[in-house]
Amino acid sequence: MQTKGAPDQLVVVIDDDEVMRLSCQQILQKAGYKVETFGNGHAGIKRIQEAKPPLLIVDIKMPELDGFEVINIVRKIDTDLVIVVITGYATIETAVDAMKAGAYDFLPKPFTPNELRMIIDRGFERWRLTKEAQRLRREKEEVERKFVTLVSHQLKSPLVAIKQYLDVMLFTSKDQLPEKAADWVRRCQVRLGEMLTIIQDWLALSRIDSGSLCDRASSAELGKVVENIIGEYQQVPSGLNVTIKASIPSDLPPICGDPVSISMLVGNLVSNAVKYNRAGGSVSLKACRVGNLVTIEVSDTGTGIPPGAMQHLFEEFYRVKTEATQNIPGTGLGLVICKRIVHELNGTIDVRSKEGEGTTFIIHLPIAENKKEVEAKSGECK
Amino acid sequence: MSESKTVLIIDDDRDFVTAIETLLVSSGYRVATASNGREGIQQAKKVQPDLILLDVMMTERTEGFFTLQEVRRIPALSRTPVIVISSIYTDQPVFRVSPEAGWLPANLFLPKPVEPMRLLEEARRLIGENCQTASAGRKL
Repeated sequence: MQTKGAPDQLVVVIDDDEVMRLSCQQILQKAGYKVETFGNGHAGIKRIQEAKPPLLIVDIKMPELDGFEVINIVRKIDTDLVIVVITGYATIETAVDAMKAGAYDFLPKPFTPNELRMIIDRGFERWRLTKEAQRLRREKEEVERKFVTLVSHQLKSPLVAIKQYLDVMLFTSKDQLPEKAADWVRRCQVRLGEMLTIIQDWLALSRIDSGSLCDRASSAELGKVVENIIGEYQQVPSGLNVTIKASIPSDLPPICGDPVSISMLVGNLVSNAVKYNRAGGSVSLKACRVGNLVTIEVSDTGTGIPPGAMQHLFEEFYRVKTEATQNIPGTGLGLVICKRIVHELNGTIDVRSKEGEGTTFIIHLPIAENKKEVEAKSGECK
Repeated sequence: MSESKTVLIIDDDRDFVTAIETLLVSSGYRVATASNGREGIQQAKKVQPDLILLDVMMTERTEGFFTLQEVRRIPALSRTPVIVISSIYTDQPVFRVSPEAGWLPANLFLPKPVEPMRLLEEARRLIGENCQTASAGRKL
């Protein structure tokens, strides 16, 4: 079967032999291609750079630049260019070498017009498929990106409306509601809050996956992030009356990562440290510099993690199930998010825990790229 | 408050609007509503609100942002306080942006659903601040 080349697709021919150039031109123009021929590598490469054609036919044996050199150069200009090699001394070795260098196919001289046409049609089809695949991949990525945003918005909207009604109802007419009804409304608020948190965590994970979070080129001031987080907790005090203490050296260098990711990371750890604490307990946040890394420690005075649970801690939807933890709300995604963020930012996360005494999460994150040279004395661990 | 202040709610979620409208009316505000950006701009010009509450994702994914820019281009509304209330902010700490700040000149971002007490406090604060600047401006 002979496929018809798309009209007006450009084929560049580089060959020092004029007869060869002319015959290629005639055969391929008849087949519907636009053909431009060049007598040496330099002129041909220049044209490829300008026109980015789908196809190149190049002779192997030429004075000045030979075919292999031409292939090496044009491969760097356009990785999708389909290259067909013409070789006068057809040995398997030359053909293999040409393929290794990045040619798509080879044509031994002498060849018939039909052989040339078939090889070029096939080459063009390959180029078309490559481009098509690239377009589809881009479209798919775009759809996935939009899907996550839209679905999470669609999932959230009804929940938001319901919770907003309940919030306003309780706020404006609490006294008119029977005690039991008010209590149930509060339970509904809590359960809706849980659902919203799951969607939010799921969205965070897909944003990490799609690369729209965890920007390594950004930098974050840990002091500011921690200040914001503590501020949020002071606005909404937990029922356990847990105090949060932070000691972040003011001269701590900025850490690698965007403030949103860092805030999500530290926020999740602080949230856990508060939730899994004892009444009247405390959470302590410490940070210091160790060489080109910043160490962040988040410790609580809670019940600690049972040794058997340690290995599952960073698994999706895993939650420690003990009598003490059964009424603590959570999605089982918080530590997964932490681990993913730390991983994306080229850091590490560890945990130390003693049952009955408390848990400490230790994070190491690189210092922001352009701050590494700064005098290492600042904010060093004592 | 000697005379009641007007709040314009621009949001495509009818239920959210009803809930917030109830909250504001019960606290003595007059409320106008609009269900999309275009309608919101018309209403804003008509009622000259003391405060605008604005959603982000309406018919278009970023409708609120463009609506906000348009509001700021109208001289009579250029200094009207705007609170952007959107569920896209729930995973980020609340942050404050100066009204002069570039492309998103909102006074405040609040996550959705919004804490009733918090909304009332911020509304009172922003309307109060704006009245002060306006009267200071008149004295000059």
